[in-house]
Amino acid sequence: MTAVEEPRTAQFVRPDGKEKVTGAGRYTADLTLTGQLVAKFRYADHTHARILRIDATKARALPGVLAVLTHEDVPDVLYGGMVKDRRLFAKEKVRFEGDVVAGVAATTAEIAERAAALIEIDYEPLPAITDFEAAEHNSALVHEDWESYDADDVLLRAGNRMGYSTIVKGDAEAAMSAADVVVQSRFVTDPVQGVPIEPRAVIAQWQGDKVTVWTSTQVPYAARGGIAHTLQIPESNVRVIVPLLGGGFGAKCDFHYEGHIAALAKAAGRPVKLVFTRREEFFAVGHRREGMVIELETGARSDGTLLARRGRLVLDSGAYCGEGGFFAQMAAMHALGPYKIETADIESSLNYSTNQPSSSIRAPTAPQVCWALEQHMDELAEALGMDPVDLRRHTLVEEGSVTATGQVLERIAMKETLEKAVELIGYGKELPDDEAIGIAVGWWPCFTASSGAYVKLNGDGSGTIITGAQENGTGAVMAMPKYVAEELGMQPEDFSMLYQDTDAAPSDMGSCGSQTTFNSGRAVIAAAVDLRDQLLDAASEKLEAARDDLELVGGAVRVKGSPEKSVTIADLAGSGTFHGKGAGVIPDGPEASPAEGCLGRLGLESFHAPQLIAHAARVRVDRATGVVRVLQIAAAHDCGRILNRIGADGQVYGGVVMGIGQALSEGTQLDEDGRQRNAHLTDYKLVTASDAPQIDVAWIETDTPNAGPKGSKGVGEPPCVPTAGAIANAVAKVIGSRVRALPMTPERVWEAGS
Amino acid sequence: MKVATTLTVNGTDYAVELDPGTNLLAAVRDVIGLTGSKEGCDDSECGACMMLLDGKPVNSCSYLALQAEGSEITTVEGLASGETLAPLQTAFLDQGGVQCGFCTPGMLISATALLEQNPSPSEDEVRIALSGNLCRCTGYDGIVKAVLSVADAA
Repeated sequence: MTAVEEPRTAQFVRPDGKEKVTGAGRYTADLTLTGQLVAKFRYADHTHARILRIDATKARALPGVLAVLTHEDVPDVLYGGMVKDRRLFAKEKVRFEGDVVAGVAATTAEIAERAAALIEIDYEPLPAITDFEAAEHNSALVHEDWESYDADDVLLRAGNRMGYSTIVKGDAEAAMSAADVVVQSRFVTDPVQGVPIEPRAVIAQWQGDKVTVWTSTQVPYAARGGIAHTLQIPESNVRVIVPLLGGGFGAKCDFHYEGHIAALAKAAGRPVKLVFTRREEFFAVGHRREGMVIELETGARSDGTLLARRGRLVLDSGAYCGEGGFFAQMAAMHALGPYKIETADIESSLNYSTNQPSSSIRAPTAPQVCWALEQHMDELAEALGMDPVDLRRHTLVEEGSVTATGQVLERIAMKETLEKAVELIGYGKELPDDEAIGIAVGWWPCFTASSGAYVKLNGDGSGTIITGAQENGTGAVMAMPKYVAEELGMQPEDFSMLYQDTDAAPSDMGSCGSQTTFNSGRAVIAAAVDLRDQLLDAASEKLEAARDDLELVGGAVRVKGSPEKSVTIADLAGSGTFHGKGAGVIPDGPEASPAEGCLGRLGLESFHAPQLIAHAARVRVDRATGVVRVLQIAAAHDCGRILNRIGADGQVYGGVVMGIGQALSEGTQLDEDGRQRNAHLTDYKLVTASDAPQIDVAWIETDTPNAGPKGSKGVGEPPCVPTAGAIANAVAKVIGSRVRALPMTPERVWEAGS
Repeated sequence: MKVATTLTVNGTDYAVELDPGTNLLAAVRDVIGLTGSKEGCDDSECGACMMLLDGKPVNSCSYLALQAEGSEITTVEGLASGETLAPLQTAFLDQGGVQCGFCTPGMLISATALLEQNPSPSEDEVRIALSGNLCRCTGYDGIVKAVLSVADAA
């Protein structure tokens, strides 16, 4: 195990770098097609209401309007991830303020807006179901027809409960009563938004029966599938292209508005473009980090050994499932955390409400549960009279530990990350009275998926990589020429890339789950190896040398030990017909043996090649105002081998700063009807350059069994997992009490400290 | 009713006809056709639309285009000299200051204005100068290092 000590300047310029710094790069909203119309939506006028009548006559009559669509104008199909519970256009009911009732395409934005307002809709208003904790017992349902929905049975749905999962190990009740010390805590969290700086945009254009859709999605293949399903056309008639993507953070995962715009373009007979306002980017998207209620109870022996953990978690799914169906089980796993616990009884519910739908935002469920659990662990340390770091030293998992779900952990560097964070922050040093240091740890799995790629050699010896991977900005795709060049003895600059175009490469999971390098990278490397083998065969013939005696170096194939006997790759390339293809072998997953009582198993009961994280935060609290300033974060990660240091560091800097926002200022506030009160950047406050602290990054490299290519694990999501927990523990030390609501705004900190 | 005017962007004069309510960002992006400047919020909150007006940074989404008549407007497209990137542009790439790139045009404009006014800023001065530009990817680390590296070199 070694700490990475590599200079952190770029090893090569990211292929999309020049266009991004010169303004030449095109994002979706920068595109204009001849004859293009502008789309606007008519959103729900109530957060929960039955639709009695829709009359679009006046809107359709407005000059400049070329299409108005409601549910009557598109196939009557439901879509969704693990539960198909949503239509493109609301039919019987509206279930949150961003439900789309109608769409308009017109020659100008002003006309489209006027037309949308002219649509007459009669409603029977229904009481909003905003209290997601009580929703489970509410006889009023968000989805009256939930039983008829096409859904994964493992979710254990019932009424307003969309998903349910438990983790049971041993007799937690008996173990709890035998414990020397028992602590109980309850925490609540506000919903949080992804807030990519690029608002989403979609353009659709039909040519005959085929539609091309340019869209700011993280998951082009899922978008293609959604268009094909909702419009009932074959996927081969749909091409999804993602121009440069201006960030996503999960918010642009899932199929969203591509179906609406493709349908409008078809009806209008013209290309149609949608660009969201920042307000729509907040309230309309069915995609935010979910609010939660987290109740934890832990019993420990006086030496700190964790005898029992009980937990009850309630998550707000909002109005629809989206792709967040797995949240109940994921949250339950984070309520255990990377700790050795002898018995466990965790129950986790994902409930429908008439709030904005929840779906994946960077490490979904983890930052909130980790924030709660890590405060709870500090409360336990206090009750035990132990130092919080010592308690974690005693209880964190290590190689050979068995988790509560029966997974035997292999080589991991959990404790090493803790020690590194403790060292970097200077834990234990003298601090002014208004400062303190807090520690938090977390974990996150790698996700395996199939992918496929091609690498072709052009006639001049340059190459082109064709991958289904999606670049959301992290640089994960931009680093692929480096991996290919390494296999072929060429330079990264020798390769162009064709990516984020569904007609080009085989299907890919897209930019989600920190898995681009893990899966798409594996496929690209496999394609490069296939091409290398072909080049070696050709060179073997040309050089009249045994294949095993050849090597690829410096843009040529040469005989080992006799560099004068060589042929350049450009000479081998001929007319440019060499092409490699590959998918790579998906590494085996770890086995888990959860107890019979574990329900709602969606495959997350074991964490594949887990990434381990320890953050330490030094904060200053103004006791008079409750204002918290984060002065320093030390972030130590075990993400396996680091393949691209500047890219990996960038994920930590960005993730930590996002975590600081979640800790202190980012929270969506709802009124009593479930409407957002702060759907703009003035009152939903992101961390700015002058708020961001010194961040020290450390990587603990391990030889991870079943890792991704070259020993890598994921990197993108873990950096935002424990940041809020570390900050919370530091704040509690200064003010002498716990802040039990997230974000920890000045009002909440002041109130807790008073 | 459209009004005829001339806007000078990156040293080129453009004769345009604009509705009086058109903001500078829309005029430059949609009428003149330079899409490097981005719209992130239309409300002066994010800074992605930032342009220089006679050397001073403005949020062009909240500035009426007709008011810019007679001013030198500089967008991100005007920072490089032909194929040669400005030192700040190179530094952003070298230091990991670019990820998704959507805030980059505004950041570069903001940083250019800062260095013009204060060629050797402290780290705090850089952070304060850039605090009107939101970035969600980088945690600002690579951006601040990039600006400081250019300042040091100057």
